[in-house]
Amino acid sequence: MPLLQRRHDEDALPGGGRLPVLPALRELLPEGLQRGTVVAVGRWSLLCLAVAAGASAAGAWCAAVGLPQLGVVAAADAGLDPGRMLLIPDPGAHWPQVVASLLDGCELVLVRPPGRPPAQVRTRLAATLRRCGGVLVVAGGWEGAQARLLVARQEWAGIGTGHGRLRACRVQVAADGRGAAARSRAQWLWLPGPDGSVGGADQVTISAPDMRDTG
Amino acid sequence: MTATGNVPERVLVVWCPGWPETGTGGDEAARDEGAGPDAGHGAAEFGRVVSVVEGFCPRVEVLRPGACAIGTLGPARYFGGEAALATKIITAVGGAGFASQVGIADGLFAACLAAERARPVPGARPSPGARPVPGARPAAAPPGAVMTVAPGHTRAFLAPLPVSVLDSPELTDLLPRLGIRTLGEFAALPAAEVANRFGTAGVVAHRLARGLAPRPLAPRPPPADLSVSQEFDPPERRAEPVVFAAKTLAERMHNGLAASGLACVRVQVQAVWEDGRESTRLWRHDGLLSALAVADRVRWQLAGGPPAPSPAPPPGGDRTTVRIPAPIGAVKRTTDGYPRGHEGQGGGDEEVWGGGVRLLRLVPDQLVHDQGWQLGLWGDAVASDRVARAAVRVQAMLGHDAVTRPVLAGGRSPADQVTLVPFGSTDDRVPPRRRPGRPGAGRPGRPAPDRADEPDGLGAARVDGAGEPDRPWPGRIPAPSPATVYRAPLPARITDDSGATVTVSGRGVVSAPPARMSADGASWLVVTAWAGPWPVAERWWDPRTARRRARFQLVTEDGAAWLVAVQDGRWLIEARYD
Repeated sequence: MPLLQRRHDEDALPGGGRLPVLPALRELLPEGLQRGTVVAVGRWSLLCLAVAAGASAAGAWCAAVGLPQLGVVAAADAGLDPGRMLLIPDPGAHWPQVVASLLDGCELVLVRPPGRPPAQVRTRLAATLRRCGGVLVVAGGWEGAQARLLVARQEWAGIGTGHGRLRACRVQVAADGRGAAARSRAQWLWLPGPDGSVGGADQVTISAPDMRDTG
Repeated sequence: MTATGNVPERVLVVWCPGWPETGTGGDEAARDEGAGPDAGHGAAEFGRVVSVVEGFCPRVEVLRPGACAIGTLGPARYFGGEAALATKIITAVGGAGFASQVGIADGLFAACLAAERARPVPGARPSPGARPVPGARPAAAPPGAVMTVAPGHTRAFLAPLPVSVLDSPELTDLLPRLGIRTLGEFAALPAAEVANRFGTAGVVAHRLARGLAPRPLAPRPPPADLSVSQEFDPPERRAEPVVFAAKTLAERMHNGLAASGLACVRVQVQAVWEDGRESTRLWRHDGLLSALAVADRVRWQLAGGPPAPSPAPPPGGDRTTVRIPAPIGAVKRTTDGYPRGHEGQGGGDEEVWGGGVRLLRLVPDQLVHDQGWQLGLWGDAVASDRVARAAVRVQAMLGHDAVTRPVLAGGRSPADQVTLVPFGSTDDRVPPRRRPGRPGAGRPGRPAPDRADEPDGLGAARVDGAGEPDRPWPGRIPAPSPATVYRAPLPARITDDSGATVTVSGRGVVSAPPARMSADGASWLVVTAWAGPWPVAERWWDPRTARRRARFQLVTEDGAAWLVAVQDGRWLIEARYD
């Protein structure tokens, strides 16, 4: 029996009812990713990957539905484990079923719905989420999402007119949501930082760690 | 002549010339000239030949589609000698509608070569077997032909043959360069020296060249019918009873396999509807699926429904990737389009789409001796059951290639740095690289003809050491990497202040600073920062895949950053940093 118990718990992640997030995002998502909920990120961007990165690094499986353009290298740099990713680039018209099936197996599902999802689909997926205990990260709008994140401003550093190169991007992310996450917050992040990772950026200093280009 | 002790047993090989082969069967010319009416036969067709041969000897080893072998010792004694046995087999196989040739020699290797060199038609092609080799006597026996190498004469028969008949690319390439052109010359080398220089593969080849046995015959698993089926009378209109029956059937099938000490690589699920339509799919099993897991696959297959009304027989080739045309949303006619019958939910009233199911059959496919199954030691890459079930379920809806796992690979452009491998592919060699704009091109483990179908010769896509992410790749775009990588680069227009398209000269000089950009016909954006050009010329030695681009990074007024390239005067957006 102890063996069975251990096997059963193998998939459990630390944190119990929630999935961990990257340290840089803890201010924006103080509760982490609450299992069984939806996190809406305004549009497809590195922020979606950053939201998923903490849980993926902790061992969660992450599926990406309807995102043929997902940059896997950027995902890996942000902290996702490519070995625990499933990509379903073209789910077709039946993406809700695909998402529901994936939620059975993966803790995290990233999805970009082709249009505005009808209320019925949202209700159905919400029920699936509650049953499976996964987290749905939506690249787009989603009414009734537990948390909403939005890139408010972004500034690229390291590139000039005709010289330098893209080194890092300082991004202001705004967050609000429901329940305990209702208070709206904003935070500056390096998204991505000079090595592709995600880190907190000081609000005052504008310069990246090394903005001088050698080439 | 032959060393005592290691003399291999007498082997008879039945060879059907011109059978489509996937392996490197050796004799290209013989295959080409025979590839007339027989072309198109598959492994299943060859099963008929095998069962004919089994009438003479129950222990038949199938070498490949088109060739099988038996030991002649007992049958030859029973049927009155090797020549009589060979003639009887050729006649019987001919009666089944297949032309065949028979070779008899000491050992499988020599017997195969003898079968391929038995020439019925005079003047077809001078073959080495037609030479006066001591002990070899080609005997014309229409419609086939027989070549018998007398016991103990195998080494002499092999001696004049070129080393290219050895099934070892390294050796057949290396030996001629060392001046060793025939098996006789190779056999004359001292065995110890061969072992030193060529290793295990060389030792096996050397034993073959000397007419010795590399290994004993391995009879194929007994051909007992281990398939199980259940008929439904009246036809069952609901999915749940069929799935329940599938669980019982799967238990019976597993018990039958276990009793024979076998495991199956794949299981074929066949469902026949009352109107005669049937859905047949192969599911990977590997001896790992429980009865419940098999029942789940039956459930997913039923959810797909029967094929479209014009019942075309399932193509004989790779049936694992056949997509069920009926969408899963048609399972149930409620409005939200969700299939019912999630595990753990009710769903007993779920109606099987398109009438009732008359017959359900489970056929174990590719029987192998059950040697247990070793999972990967390092748990990271092994998908847990839960994930595998979800992935396979989605594959059942969308097709095998629709669910992929990314593998980081080497390359200069962001799109080259990832290879997508369909979930469940156990092939561990580095798959061909995914090229920009060719989703799903990185399909490993598919037979070569499939890839030849692809329009622009993707078989040639594996060049310059793809799949080595830790190599330097000079000219690669440094970190940070873009979060959006377009599968096919988007067309773009980039102009300078005066509205003229920006160009880059052959020497890498930009005509004017880029001022405005329009992505794929979208509205114009002011370029606030830019860097480049970074020219990169890739694969210049291969005109089909050569690529010469100059890359730029741009930041536009909306805060987005882009990786753009100019190639042949046209601007392309490769990726977007956001």
